[in-house]
Amino acid sequence: MSGVTEAPGAAEAGDDARASRKLGLYLTLPAQLLVLFIAVFPLLMQLYISLTGWSPLTGMGWWNAWSLWNSFQNYVELAVDNRWWSALLRTLLVMVVCVPAEFLLGLGLATLFMDNFYGKRAFYSILLMPMMVVPAVAGYMFFMLFQSGGPVNDLLSTLSGQNIAIAWLSNPSLAMVAVMVADIWQWTPLMFLILLAGLVGVQEDQLKAATLLGANWRQRFVTIMLPRMKTIIIIALAIRTIENFKIFDTLYIMTGGGPGVATETISVYIYKLITNDLNWGYVAAIALVILLTLSVALGIAISRMGKASTEVTK
Amino acid sequence: MTTQNRISRRQLLATGSKGALVAAAVGIAPQFIRPGRAFAQDALAAGMIGGPAGFDGAERYQYGPDTPEGRAIEALRSLKGAGKAPERIVLGLSDGSIGQLTQPFPAGAPSIKELFEQETGITLDIVGVPNGQEFTKTMQDISTNGGQFDIYAVEWNRLGDLAETGGIIKMDDFVAAHRPEWDDPERGYVNGAQGVSLLNQYRGSTYGVSLDGDFQTWNYRTDLFGAAAEQKAFADKYGYELKPPRTWKELDEISSFFFRPDQGLFGSTDLRNQGWGYTNWYQRYTSMASPNQFLFADDGKPLINSEQGLAATEEYIKSLAYKSPDAISWSWPEQYGNFGSGGAAMTCAFSNLPKFLDNPGNSGSMVSGKVGSMLPPGREIGGDLVRRTVLWLNLSASISSQSKHPEAAYLLLQWLGSSRIYSWMTANPGGYFDPFQLANFSDPLVRQTYHDYHMDVVRESVARTVPSINYPGATAFHNALDENLVASLTGAKSAAQAMADTESEWLKIAGRVGEEKLLEAIKTNKAAWPTVVDRLS
Amino acid sequence: MRRSPAFELFRYAVIVLAIAITLVPIAWMASMAFKPIAEWQATGNNLTWWPKNPTLDNFRFIFGESSTELIVALERTAAKPILASLLASVFGTLIAMAAGSAAAYGLSRFKAGGNLPLALIQLRLFPPMAVMIPVMIMWAFLKLNDTWWGLALVYGIVTLPFAFWLMKTFFDEMPREIEEAALVEGCSRFRVFLKVTLPMMAAPLASSALFVFILNWSDYLIALLLTTREWVTIPVYMASLSSSMTGQLYGAKAALGLIAAVPPIIAGIAIQKHLVRGLTFGALKQ
Repeated sequence: MSGVTEAPGAAEAGDDARASRKLGLYLTLPAQLLVLFIAVFPLLMQLYISLTGWSPLTGMGWWNAWSLWNSFQNYVELAVDNRWWSALLRTLLVMVVCVPAEFLLGLGLATLFMDNFYGKRAFYSILLMPMMVVPAVAGYMFFMLFQSGGPVNDLLSTLSGQNIAIAWLSNPSLAMVAVMVADIWQWTPLMFLILLAGLVGVQEDQLKAATLLGANWRQRFVTIMLPRMKTIIIIALAIRTIENFKIFDTLYIMTGGGPGVATETISVYIYKLITNDLNWGYVAAIALVILLTLSVALGIAISRMGKASTEVTK
Repeated sequence: MTTQNRISRRQLLATGSKGALVAAAVGIAPQFIRPGRAFAQDALAAGMIGGPAGFDGAERYQYGPDTPEGRAIEALRSLKGAGKAPERIVLGLSDGSIGQLTQPFPAGAPSIKELFEQETGITLDIVGVPNGQEFTKTMQDISTNGGQFDIYAVEWNRLGDLAETGGIIKMDDFVAAHRPEWDDPERGYVNGAQGVSLLNQYRGSTYGVSLDGDFQTWNYRTDLFGAAAEQKAFADKYGYELKPPRTWKELDEISSFFFRPDQGLFGSTDLRNQGWGYTNWYQRYTSMASPNQFLFADDGKPLINSEQGLAATEEYIKSLAYKSPDAISWSWPEQYGNFGSGGAAMTCAFSNLPKFLDNPGNSGSMVSGKVGSMLPPGREIGGDLVRRTVLWLNLSASISSQSKHPEAAYLLLQWLGSSRIYSWMTANPGGYFDPFQLANFSDPLVRQTYHDYHMDVVRESVARTVPSINYPGATAFHNALDENLVASLTGAKSAAQAMADTESEWLKIAGRVGEEKLLEAIKTNKAAWPTVVDRLS
Repeated sequence: MRRSPAFELFRYAVIVLAIAITLVPIAWMASMAFKPIAEWQATGNNLTWWPKNPTLDNFRFIFGESSTELIVALERTAAKPILASLLASVFGTLIAMAAGSAAAYGLSRFKAGGNLPLALIQLRLFPPMAVMIPVMIMWAFLKLNDTWWGLALVYGIVTLPFAFWLMKTFFDEMPREIEEAALVEGCSRFRVFLKVTLPMMAAPLASSALFVFILNWSDYLIALLLTTREWVTIPVYMASLSSSMTGQLYGAKAALGLIAAVPPIIAGIAIQKHLVRGLTFGALKQ
């Protein structure tokens, strides 16, 4: 019974608690309002039009969408929409290639930075630069780099001694490779940064003890460092997975989702539906399905993460 | 920022660009650069009520009271007098075209914007829209009730889609009241009333005013075709004379002949990318029958999943052999850049390519004086030669339903889109609006910037131009075709599969649009297809 | 820990390779920005890596001066888009920081806020593309389309989760004893916050703000859909840098890209030490 624990000086403490609660409420209010502002109307509106065949091409306001009521047809269509499923698959493909690649490269680099060596600070700063380049600008950069007469082919020609003129962005599989290279270039530094912070956080004395006990480098890494870095690794992977799932800027500027639909991810597909096909009722259905799926996934992740979760949601 | 500021910033820009403009003008029209303005007309000619002055030949663009331009200006003045005119008209326009309204041309002239403001006292507020985003931004304004524009300028193909949204108004009453004379047999649209119906109307009502002439035209390099060594080598190899190709077969052979990637030279760089490439497929497809191979039968059945569709698609894929390896990702900026740097023997582009690239004022261009124009290649059918090209993109201006002053907006469009002002505007090298009216083709100033050799070919190409899809669902129809064609180019689908998939998607779209609407629109569209067929000999 | 010379050699070799890969794209853009048009693209096999005739024309050009080579003059210079990017990012950052740090303080000290933290994670999790339709409609209704303040508002909301989590970590780490001591001395809560807490938090606030600024500055998608002309931001404006005289204006794009790259790189270096907290939503205890 909480009332009992507050027994001594109850009145005063209660006042104070009330005042504190009030102040806390005021302090969190702006953030709450902003979240409500961006959540309530969009959610209700999308829920409404997702049940209709509404498109701005019909010439009526969205509030009149009821006259085009089609129940769950949009959702049914989505279930059999090949283009949606292949866009989703492509998004997942980019994810399962890029995120592990970024992780391994970042981890490898981070292990090299654990102790001091000459030039460490400067190298560190330079290696972090890609993640600060505006992604859209990175898109234009890689668009130029991957032209058939561009520097990538020029480098490859120099290295191989042959004249290489690969049309990266015109070939469906190579365009995918180019897009992934750009993503890995830009976001490996992030993995490097986070993982290095985690590695440095592992206690030095434990490592020393292990060394004294005769553990070699690999044993120390696997038995002491990795387990201690579990949370940090999960966080690093989670951030990149979440952000990679939304991949749009760099990719859209490099290929526009092309050639054909070869690099069309879900964000690009939705963008095309919004701006070209104007099939907005359908987009709303997609949005809600994504929202629902992500919320369920988040719920599962949080309940699974046990200790970590209590920390995060506290 | 206030309007005042905005205007002065633009004026500043215009001044800043004068150096460039003079350079361009020197190249294009040396006779306009004369000491002082002693020879120039500074005042209106007798009987004229308005129009530009201050340069030689200005009287061609001046107008009396009984012209479409004159009626528009007088009606605006009387609206103004009655206090019913707006202070400003907001015109959304794609970025690349604004220069033609804001940069003075030729030397000594005012800009179109200045002239309009001076004659009517109404501010012309031109709002730039990124090239390629015209439809997106217009739909955004309509669907969100943004009300940012009085006038939208959108690709002509989307007129049906836009009209169906109710976001643009019918201009029929204004047309009846102010008589734009678009079908004037001397000065008006090609094919008279038929042409007006094609460019400005949807289901019998006027929804747009054409401000462009995007008839895709073909260009070649006269220096390459004229070189004796090339001619000999070509004749030895193929057994006929090297000259601009008349058939697709000749085009493919000549292109293969000139394909020398190690020297940075490609055969023909007509586009193959998403969004633009399918216009070149159109040309190969529609010339498959005499006089036309249609896209839809009269009963609305798609005709593309056929022997003809398959053959056109296969040719279209095969032609990649003599293009840049990047062809599938090349858009017009790459195409123009490459042609300007001497990287192609032939290409098919908007009719403004010679204006920009065969232009001594463009010091970046290495092909000035080396460009020729030719009719589209065609196909031999029963002793005839069917040459077809395509009308595609072509900006049209429409009036927003949210505009508070639709009549004034209409009058501005009547003024801008009538042959005198339009000839003057299209001659201006500062933007993308191209000639399309009879008066434009014969105008000396237009012929100066677009070149004589080109203008005649354009006029003849117009007579051989098929309209692309302009009925409701146009965007969706074209996207489906486009995506399947690109898939066939990348090898993701076979040509047959691409045509079959396009057909099934078209049937779906047709179902959404509604049969009645579609059949009527297809019929109107077909009536505008050309009948000209050349003799082979 | 001593390392063998072989290891040192290996380490430097790997790092040099990594640095080379890191720098090539950036160096290419920097070099392109100073190239005259003739060197933009390879014709045949003569790619120019380093400008042979370095020029500032590309920079002059995007600020409205016509260059002799790119005979087109820009209808719109890069000045306004740069201003738009700055205004939207700075004010977006202010919104996110004000709301975010207040909420973080409230949660850290008074356990207020309920499920706000979870809602904020969800906000970040969800692809913004999928809510753009209602946002476009709302913004048009509120007359916020194509304004920098409208953009700043979205930015403020989108980066709120980062501002919140970052500041929450910092508040959690700050010893409460100091505040409590001041309270005992009879200062009001508000005065304590103003006179004690804020000064102590100056450095964390600044680094969090810079971090949020980088995120806002990086946006492309939202500006693409919410701006038309008056307030397009740098990345959106960049797409319009092409002309029928010369094709893609690679040099101009690179020049503007270089300008756009500078603020976040400087900001990033300035907050290097705190960067990692922002990127882990503050979940990393250091």
